[in-house]
Formats: sequence, C-alpha cells, structure tokens
Amino acid sequence: MSELSIAAYTVDTAEPAVRPDSARIGKFDVGAFARRFGSPIGLILPVLILALWQTAVSCQWVEPVFLPAPRKVLDAFWLMLTKQDLVFDFLASISIVGQAFIYGSAAGIGLGTAAGLSRKFEQFLGTTVDTVRHIPGIAWLPLIVLWLGIGAPAKILVIAKSVFFPLFLNTLQGIRSVEKNYIELGQVLLLTRRQMVRKVILPSAMPSIMVSLRYAAGLAWALVVVAEGLSGLEGLGFLIFRAQGLLLTDQLLVCMVIIGLVGFVVDRLMYTLQCSILRWQQGFKG
Amino acid sequence: MGIAGNLEIRSVRKHYTVDGNRLQILSGVTFDVGPGHFLSIVGPSGCGKSTLLRLIVGLDNDYEGDILLNGERIEGPSRARGIVFQDHRLLPWLTLEQNIGLSLENTGWNAQAKKEAVRGQTELVGLSGFENAYPHQLSGGMAQRAAIARALVCKPDILLLDEPLGALDAITRIRLQEELLRIWRVEETTMILVTHDVDEAIFLSNEIVVMSSHPGRISKRFIVDLSSPRDRAGNEFIELKRLILAELHLYRQKTQSETENWMNMASLI
Repeated sequence: MSELSIAAYTVDTAEPAVRPDSARIGKFDVGAFARRFGSPIGLILPVLILALWQTAVSCQWVEPVFLPAPRKVLDAFWLMLTKQDLVFDFLASISIVGQAFIYGSAAGIGLGTAAGLSRKFEQFLGTTVDTVRHIPGIAWLPLIVLWLGIGAPAKILVIAKSVFFPLFLNTLQGIRSVEKNYIELGQVLLLTRRQMVRKVILPSAMPSIMVSLRYAAGLAWALVVVAEGLSGLEGLGFLIFRAQGLLLTDQLLVCMVIIGLVGFVVDRLMYTLQCSILRWQQGFKG
Repeated sequence: MGIAGNLEIRSVRKHYTVDGNRLQILSGVTFDVGPGHFLSIVGPSGCGKSTLLRLIVGLDNDYEGDILLNGERIEGPSRARGIVFQDHRLLPWLTLEQNIGLSLENTGWNAQAKKEAVRGQTELVGLSGFENAYPHQLSGGMAQRAAIARALVCKPDILLLDEPLGALDAITRIRLQEELLRIWRVEETTMILVTHDVDEAIFLSNEIVVMSSHPGRISKRFIVDLSSPRDRAGNEFIELKRLILAELHLYRQKTQSETENWMNMASLI
C-alpha cells in the first residue's frame, strides 16, 4: 500500500508528459480520416429512407411517374452515364464551382486581410460591400448573363461573388480578433510588420477563415445548380430542370442524388483540410 | 550582447489619464540592479510593479525619468531585454521549437546558428524531446519553461520575469523556482522578477524591493544575504519573510493570549 501511494505521488508531481495523441504529430492519421467520412451509424438512416421509398413504390402509394422505383432510378443513371453526356455535364458543373471557389475565396481572403490590417481600407470598402452583399448572387445573374452570355463566365462570376462575402467578412473578423497579447509579444520579439502578419495575425485568423471556406464550398455547390437551371444548356442544374420539364422523374432523382453526394464529399474534404491546417488547435473531439 | 546588464532606474514616474482624471501609477521609483544580480519586486496588486516591467521592456515609452541599461537610455523593445509573461504566451500554431526560434527571426544569424541556439536552450530548460509538440500538448510548467527558453535564446543582457510562476500549482512552482536558479547560474544574466510570493522572492533573489501602492513607490529594499542552497524552512529565511510581510502590512505577531488559546485548543485535540 505504501509503495503504491509513493508511486502515485511521483506520478502526480512529475510534470505531465505530452498527451498520448502527440505520437501522431505530422503523420497522417488514417483512423481519423475514416471517422470524418462517417461511421456505419451514419448509414442507418439512408438505408431506412431507401426502404421507405421502395415500400412506397411497391404498395403504389405514389404514382410511378412522380416517384419511380429505386431500381428504375439506377437504370436511368446507367443510361445517362453510357448513352447521354452525364460525365460531361457533371464536369461542367464541377469546373464552374471549382473556378468560382478559387477566384472568390482568393479575393475574399486577400481583400479581407487588407481590410483587417487597415481601418482606412475597411472604411473605403465598407459601404459598397455591405450594400452589394445584400443583393443575392442569383439576382445578379440576369444582368451578368446580358453582359457575358449564358456560358460559364457569367456563372463563375456570380458564384465567385457569393463565395467572396463570407470569406471577406470572416477574414476581416478573424484578423480583428487577434489577441492583443500576441501582438505585444511580436513587438517584444522585434518582428517586422510582414513577419507579424505572416507568423501572428494570419495564423490567428485561420480558424475563422477555414470555417468560412467550408461554408462557402457548400454554398458554391448549391448555387451552381440554381445558376445552371436559370441559364445555359449544360451542367447538373440544367439536367435537373430539363428532367422536370420532360417529366423524366427518374433522371431528376439521379441528378438530386449526385448533387447530394458531391456536396457531402466536398464538405468532408474541406473538413479534412480544416483539421489538418488547424491541427495545432485543441478542439473538442466529441 | 550576452553580458550581464546593469540596469539603473532613475526617478521614474508614470500616470494614466482615465476619463480626464490623472491616475498616478508610479511615483519617483529609483533603484539599481547590478550586473548578474537577481532582484525581486514584491508588492500588492495595483502597486505598478507590472507597469514598471512594461516600461523596462520598452512596451510603453510614455513616462518621466530615466531607465538606463548599461548606461544607455532604453528606447522601445530590444533583444538586450527578454521578458517572460505570466501567461506563457506561446503561439498555439507554432511548435515548441518554432516558438523559441521566433526570438531569432531578425538576428541575422544563419540557419545553423539558429538551430544550435534553439537546441541548446531547449536542453537547458529540460524540454529536449518535445521540440515538435504544440503548446496545447504541454503542461503549464512545460509551457512556462518554453517561454523562458524563448526569452533567453537570443542571450539578453537582462531577463524580466512578470509573475512567471503565478499561474502554476504550488509543487510545479517550487520545482521551477529551482530550475530558474539553475538557469540563472548557467546564463549569468541579470534578472528582475515581479512576484507576489514572498517565499519565491527570498528563495531566488540577492535583493528584494518592496513596493506599496497609490501611488506605486519603493517602500523598502532588502538584501538577501543567505547562503545557498536556501532552506525554505530555515530560521533566517523565516525571519526575513517576517520582515518583508511586516513591510507589506501582512504580518502581525500573535499576542501572548492568542498563543495560549491556541495551545489550549491543541491540547484538547
């Protein structure tokens, strides 16, 4: 007993060592990656919904023209993939979202940083930004289409605009909420203005920038469907509205499922990126 | 750089203006810290001891009087003066190694020299093996050691310690006090420690300055002439503690009747 208590005492007074998960510093954690993409529990609900769908069709609760059987939707997917240009439309949407996301977030982070660092610049932009951002991206589309035509550039511009604002505002906010203590430390360590921004201010704003990147990625993907539905002759959004017009409900559902799944993958990829960039953060892991 | 600094503080006065009212923080503070000395400043909270440290480190240049390091008036922060804050203030997004290396950003040293300096300093504070850990993975004591390493890595002439152990538990604190002594002996840097822990001050310093508040001023200066290693429970130690506590108006000798009462109570138990 006395030996035990001495041992306990030694452990208590010794400085606690690094937490066990330190073993993974700098290494890719496969387990965590898998966890982010969902555990089997997450599959229960989709399976139930699929079963309910099948039951509804089998018992003829709904007319097949409004709700075709899952099997028929799968057939339609195969048809679209092999006989029609589903891959082409899919890539068209992805390319628009990808470009819009890159331009919009680059501009948002860039101008947001500038506004965060200079109150003058923030005041200069303030009125314009706060007015323009209340006009929804989709409301811009008709005008932009008049200027740029129904092709990809108009959609890229409109979606980039919608990506821009969350990033601009969150970058600005992130920079403004840098702890004063850290700035003071930078002064004591004689950091130059440039080093202060790179080593202290931007990393400190990174959590809020990452959150808005993830949010904006989802937003961009949702908007491309709307933008393509409203103008143009390609992309998943175009397909979904065409399917409605032609009463091809099976094709409509194919598009919906694809949009949902891609949105899921995009979100999880952004989350993985967020976790790897912010691995220095001590977060609540549930 | 790297020589023990000689600090002279000459009639330093400092005030803030709050809502048009003049608030005197420091009034006529004068004292010297000889090269290689370890001086502690003890005082009640609000006596301006931390403000004084901010002036010495150069974060605030709005004061009257002179602060001279090796005969030169200090202006703004400089590599000759390192500081350790009460909160370790390690940047959470940098590893321990990068945090310590941040001190060497504009030294003009080559990469090899920087690496060597960081490695040596990490070893001195006993953190070898934790170079790649992030601050949230360190205990409070380890983080504070890292902060000390960061302040010492560019070999300052003087190290300012602003209640560096104040947020630690009692056992870790005693441990780190011993560490501080060891580091001081190795580095031979002049040290100024601000603390509210009288034991800590006596254990570590050659000299103790007691400050009083409203406005902040030096009320008494003690020379700690105890042999080392110092016995925290020794008679001389306790006697000095008694004097300092009395100076802080925190000590009152028990009267005869109180002592007797206590004895009676003790015998009942």
